[in-house]
Amino acid sequence: MSRPMISATLAIEKGKVVCADCGRALADAGQTWKRHAVLTSVPIKDLPGAASAVDARAVLRHFACPGCGSLLDTETALPEDPFLDDVVNA
Amino acid sequence: MDPITFSIIRHRLFRVVEEAVITLKHVSGTAITNEGHDLMVSLYRADGSLLMGGVGFLHHLTSAAEACKSIIRRFAGQINEGDLFLLNDPFTAALHTSDIYLVSPIHHQGKLIAWSACFVHVYDIGAMNPGGFAPDAQDIFTEGFSSPGIKLIDRGQLRQDVWDTLLNMVRGPEMVALDLRSMIACNNVAKDRLLALVAKYGEATVDQACLTLIEQSETRLRQRLRDLPNGRWQSRQYLEVKGETYRVILTMTKQDDTLVFDFSGSSPQSKYAVNCTRWASLGGLFAPLFPLLCYDITWNEGVIRPITMIAPEGSIVNCTRPAPVSVATVGAIQSVNNAACSAIGKMLAASNRYADEATAVWHANHFAIFMFGTNQRGGQSIGILTETFAGAGGARTFADGVDIGGEIPNPISRMANVETIEAAFPIRYLFRRRLQDSGGPGTHRGGTGGEMAIVPHDAPDGGIHYVLSGKGSKFPQSEGLSGGYPGAINDYVWVHAPQDADRSFANSLATMPGEKQPISWGVFPLMHKDALYVRWNGGGGIGDPLRREPAKVMQDVVDGIVSARAADEVYGVILNQGAVDANATQQRRAELRRTRMAGGKTA
Repeated sequence: MSRPMISATLAIEKGKVVCADCGRALADAGQTWKRHAVLTSVPIKDLPGAASAVDARAVLRHFACPGCGSLLDTETALPEDPFLDDVVNA
Repeated sequence: MDPITFSIIRHRLFRVVEEAVITLKHVSGTAITNEGHDLMVSLYRADGSLLMGGVGFLHHLTSAAEACKSIIRRFAGQINEGDLFLLNDPFTAALHTSDIYLVSPIHHQGKLIAWSACFVHVYDIGAMNPGGFAPDAQDIFTEGFSSPGIKLIDRGQLRQDVWDTLLNMVRGPEMVALDLRSMIACNNVAKDRLLALVAKYGEATVDQACLTLIEQSETRLRQRLRDLPNGRWQSRQYLEVKGETYRVILTMTKQDDTLVFDFSGSSPQSKYAVNCTRWASLGGLFAPLFPLLCYDITWNEGVIRPITMIAPEGSIVNCTRPAPVSVATVGAIQSVNNAACSAIGKMLAASNRYADEATAVWHANHFAIFMFGTNQRGGQSIGILTETFAGAGGARTFADGVDIGGEIPNPISRMANVETIEAAFPIRYLFRRRLQDSGGPGTHRGGTGGEMAIVPHDAPDGGIHYVLSGKGSKFPQSEGLSGGYPGAINDYVWVHAPQDADRSFANSLATMPGEKQPISWGVFPLMHKDALYVRWNGGGGIGDPLRREPAKVMQDVVDGIVSARAADEVYGVILNQGAVDANATQQRRAELRRTRMAGGKTA
């Protein structure tokens, strides 16, 4: 039987949110996990294919697994905005 | 009821809608209807509730239901056989003034048994800018005529005074008349075919089948929701107009067999026309919900019952009169579409059973350019560049998104041939093609958007003008999923060419001579040797780009869809003499993972 999923990159094992690749535990199941990932904020204007009028403050947040470096999630954001909080109930 | 009869009636109801759409297209004469398929036809029960949702722009299915209900309330005791009503007030039910609803009561033996409703984006609505989108509008009063409900046909007789009054308020009245006649014909066909169905099976049998169909849809959606995990998913969209940034914030909560879409935290309503009304937001969230959660469930009232929407009054997703809303369909409504698509995609991706149905956000930003002016025959033309409907598919959990693959809210959207546009307007295309690095990177790449450039050609006035409602050239809007990147952003560039410029064979923005000015909002000239360059966004990607098969990355580079820079920096694929360097790729990907683990700091 397959393990419960949160997404293609995150799963639930033994009551924990884990990286689907390496099994590294990030948070208790049912809790927000992003603050336990490694965050890198890349300016949108620096990405390949950026348009001419991109807002210089806009970033693409990368949330990576601290255990294996897999990219777990991304979100477009302005620096002052909070993380998007996705929670799958345990 | 025996299942065979029920199934026949269900299919016939869908065919009624299909045939009505065909009729609408046969009569209408505008590219936005015939080429872009900016249209909708649906059937409603006697109380105005949705019975059979049709194709076209799906955010109209619930709004047209409210239009029927509003007509029922306003004209109580005055709804007769053979009547037809017009409604286009956004604060009553419509999405914006130029998407006119024509709704027809359907009577059988003197009894009201159903409604048919349809819309097209009419050729013009008399707003301060031609074509309906009015970026210069400060309020609803400058966005053309708006009716909360008026009887256009009374017992089968056209009310000529009303007809003449409406056409007296618009540019190109002959084209608007054709739009209205196409909708009248469409409703007539829907009515005739539904009555033929009733004549064959009897009113009671058809009514019982309709009730069963609605109950079946509700039961099946509730069961699907129970099969999905409980949880809470958030999404966020940014819109920008003239230096002001707005947010559409969504928290979607799924509990048991219900789904709540809460837009609390979204920006206050704007002074610009990107706002939308409450009914428009409701339609906006249902547009992705119908195809993503109800792909095998009939789209009717039963699908609506398990869904709740919270949209704070006075916000950009529930503005109050007289806020301007003419750009709503490509503004706040489309952001609601995108936010709902993103949240639903996340929910599906959290289910072992339904992960294959998940998608990143598709084409998320219409550019909505309406050209107007004197055409090459000396007449006047108004019309949209239909590439705005070409779209781009979001990636799926098992495959790439489809390049220039349409959009979620309209399953039949498409663009016209270049020649169709060149025949209608005094312009010439320099190029139109897929846009490099526009599909959101991922294990599965988002479908590409496109790019194009047009110049004046054979123009009696030296060129033409256009209305641009480009609110989305600052932020990506087609979000990725599970580590996928968003698709690239729209871009609008006015190329000011010197008079001695030769841009006859320019095949890219870089090779076009002249000063390049980013633009996004307002009315602009396209005159003499100047050019307009436009690019539209790609779909979002799914999964870590470092997990994409290197051979697929190489093929994308060969096809010109992905740049060598993106192959290296985003996908970690090293190409050497037309082949993947496997060892170098492995090392590059390991290096990029280490950089991520160090928070972006290179070792």
